[in-house]
Amino acid sequence: MRGSRYSPLDQINAENFGSLEVAWRFKTDAFGPRPEYKLEGTPLMVGGILYTTAGTRRAVVALDAATGELVWMHSENEGARGAAAPRPLSGRGLSYWTDGTDARILYVTPGYRLIALDAKTGALVPSFGKNGAVDLKLELDQTLEPDLETGEIGFQGAPVVARDVVIIGAAFREGGAPKSAKNTKGYIRGYDVRTGKRLWIFHTIPKKGQVGYDTWKDGSAEVAGNTGVWTQITVDEELGLVYLPVESPTGDYYGGHRPGDNLYGEALVCVDLRTGVRKWHHQIVRHPIWDFDLPAAPILADITVDGKAIRAVALPTKQGILYMFDRVTGAPIWPMEERAVEAGNVPGETYAPTQPIPTKPAAYSRNGITLDDLIDFTPALKEAGVQLASRFKLGPLFTPPIVSTSDGPIGTLTQGPTNGGTNWPVGSYDPETHIVYLSASNNSPSLLSLVPPAPGASDMRYVRGIAPPAPGAPRLTGFSVQGLPLLKPPYGTITAIQLDRGEILWQVPHGETPDAVRNSPALTGLDIPRTGQSGSVGTLVTKTLVIAGDPETTTTPTRARSAMLRAYDKATGREVGAVQLAAPQSGSPMTYSVNGRQYIVVAISGGPYSGEYIAFRLPVAGGR
Amino acid sequence: MRVALLVLSAFAVVGAPSERRANVRPEERTTWDSVFTRAQAERGEATYARTCSRCHQATLSGADQSPALVGSTFLGKWDGLTVGQLHDRIRTTMPSGDPGIYTRAEVSDVIAYILDYNAYPAGIVELPTSGNLLSGIRILETRPRAGGS
Repeated sequence: MRGSRYSPLDQINAENFGSLEVAWRFKTDAFGPRPEYKLEGTPLMVGGILYTTAGTRRAVVALDAATGELVWMHSENEGARGAAAPRPLSGRGLSYWTDGTDARILYVTPGYRLIALDAKTGALVPSFGKNGAVDLKLELDQTLEPDLETGEIGFQGAPVVARDVVIIGAAFREGGAPKSAKNTKGYIRGYDVRTGKRLWIFHTIPKKGQVGYDTWKDGSAEVAGNTGVWTQITVDEELGLVYLPVESPTGDYYGGHRPGDNLYGEALVCVDLRTGVRKWHHQIVRHPIWDFDLPAAPILADITVDGKAIRAVALPTKQGILYMFDRVTGAPIWPMEERAVEAGNVPGETYAPTQPIPTKPAAYSRNGITLDDLIDFTPALKEAGVQLASRFKLGPLFTPPIVSTSDGPIGTLTQGPTNGGTNWPVGSYDPETHIVYLSASNNSPSLLSLVPPAPGASDMRYVRGIAPPAPGAPRLTGFSVQGLPLLKPPYGTITAIQLDRGEILWQVPHGETPDAVRNSPALTGLDIPRTGQSGSVGTLVTKTLVIAGDPETTTTPTRARSAMLRAYDKATGREVGAVQLAAPQSGSPMTYSVNGRQYIVVAISGGPYSGEYIAFRLPVAGGR
Repeated sequence: MRVALLVLSAFAVVGAPSERRANVRPEERTTWDSVFTRAQAERGEATYARTCSRCHQATLSGADQSPALVGSTFLGKWDGLTVGQLHDRIRTTMPSGDPGIYTRAEVSDVIAYILDYNAYPAGIVELPTSGNLLSGIRILETRPRAGGS
């Protein structure tokens, strides 16, 4: 709820992490009509029972936390409505609520229904909504087109529950090439956890008369959609405040149909937990055209700046910038500067002349691409990289998308948009030391290139795409040079940032050097330090460790193909232990204690390896 | 008859040892051994454009929720695994809203297109559809250094 992913447990530490053994595995293949290869859930543990989502129908499973044995399961077959879900599969988790006697599990189905289950038995709670379910496609303050079954809206995150209020986000299909400039609006709603009654709705695209309506010129607020919250929502239960990280409006890379700043697109919005009324907001990106979204749950941090206690909220981003605000007033913790940014020339587009950038902390991952960011292991590779890059427009953060041309540039090649920096797995915050730990991808280049849509494909003037190559020109085959990434390492990192001072304490590459780099004939004889791996992964911070798994598998001379779950000394970033995973970490590690033993559980999947939760614990001293 | 002889010669070439990878068995082929035809890739391109490109993009570059199918991002994930494993993964999970609508042959065609896009060499024999045969073709990001292919 506070976005911290912190646990004070200390049985597993630097000395013994490497001796962890598998306590149990839980395969999720059977919880749907086919296996899933993208298991992203983070389990919850209450009273010796582990609750999580699993499988292609997003079943809820309750497991014995010590053994992984299935205690109960609940699954909804939503038929065509489930198949039409914009955000299918097992989702990212669920919520637990209790008033001391009644205990419930709440989750959102792929078909966008909020389900309440008895935590002890898994039975639907008949007094909640209609027989245990609330149809989230209703009471939406808009008519869902074309119908309830296929109307586009869903949510793959965990609902958040605070003070008897369940808060639900909204998500859509990817928005690079939408069929229409008109789409469903991603309003955020609060529901009564006991009855399922809707308590409030926050219009992420303001209605006429509401604050922010005038930031949509030409009446475009009536047409534009998306602008939901697809990542996790954070709540300060004590203050009764909710922090909404809002995504991009319709048209990830083309905003010509929505002139203006477009509030609350890509804004952090604070609303009242009881009423949904806006308290403050800060728009991170004005007139969003980079698909920066706000992809990560805000992190609540009680810090001390120059001797003054501040209740802060810290927002990691794809830009690799940590935005920090006083979470009561919305005032920035560190001075913000208005940075002049390039105006593009896409017909019909309008551009914000400046964007707000905090003066601290420094960016913790690569944003934008210049020649200095290109591969430079050898002069020959650098030359090849510069040659490939000559087909694109390069530039710093906020270099705008361009219309793709056959003769080049094909598009703006940049780092940050889409999958750069930090994404939904977020990071961790240590409330004792006021240090935040963030995983980030430095090597997720994104081509921001626009073309007119194919006839009949969209009513947008421009959508994401590339112009056909000129005759004889080579096809664009990714952003690689002789099988090596075009961008130079580190490809992915974990960074520790001290929030009282807004300073980066340490940064380490995270993940083994990819096989393609380690085995590259072009690098024979060179000593390449660990590069880390592309991808933003979830972290866990404990009393002494930061724990995170590799986002890719590798095969080394000393071990078979696998990923590693790694532990770092949280004070220094030094790796202190690692254990093998059969597949990359695809969820976030979580830890708990049962019967006096500490466990670490994490979701793994990817490539040919279907979803599995795997739990580790220490061997019993003198045991088998 | 001519085709049959060429198939045999393709296997023979692969029989040469690869220095780079101990896990490539002598009888295996790799994606460097001209395991699909250009015509098959063109059929796969049509199928890809109909469904796959909506999420994975016309440039195979992927997007938020859809991984790239080109370059080191993609090949790094599948390096050392078999085309059979990739075929199974696509056949059982794609397209995401309606998995299973494509025949084995159509999935093989799409893989041929992906291999072609990633600049693997085309040949004169199509990528097979049989799981047993597909599992004998290993995806290698880097061309083996010595010997065959």
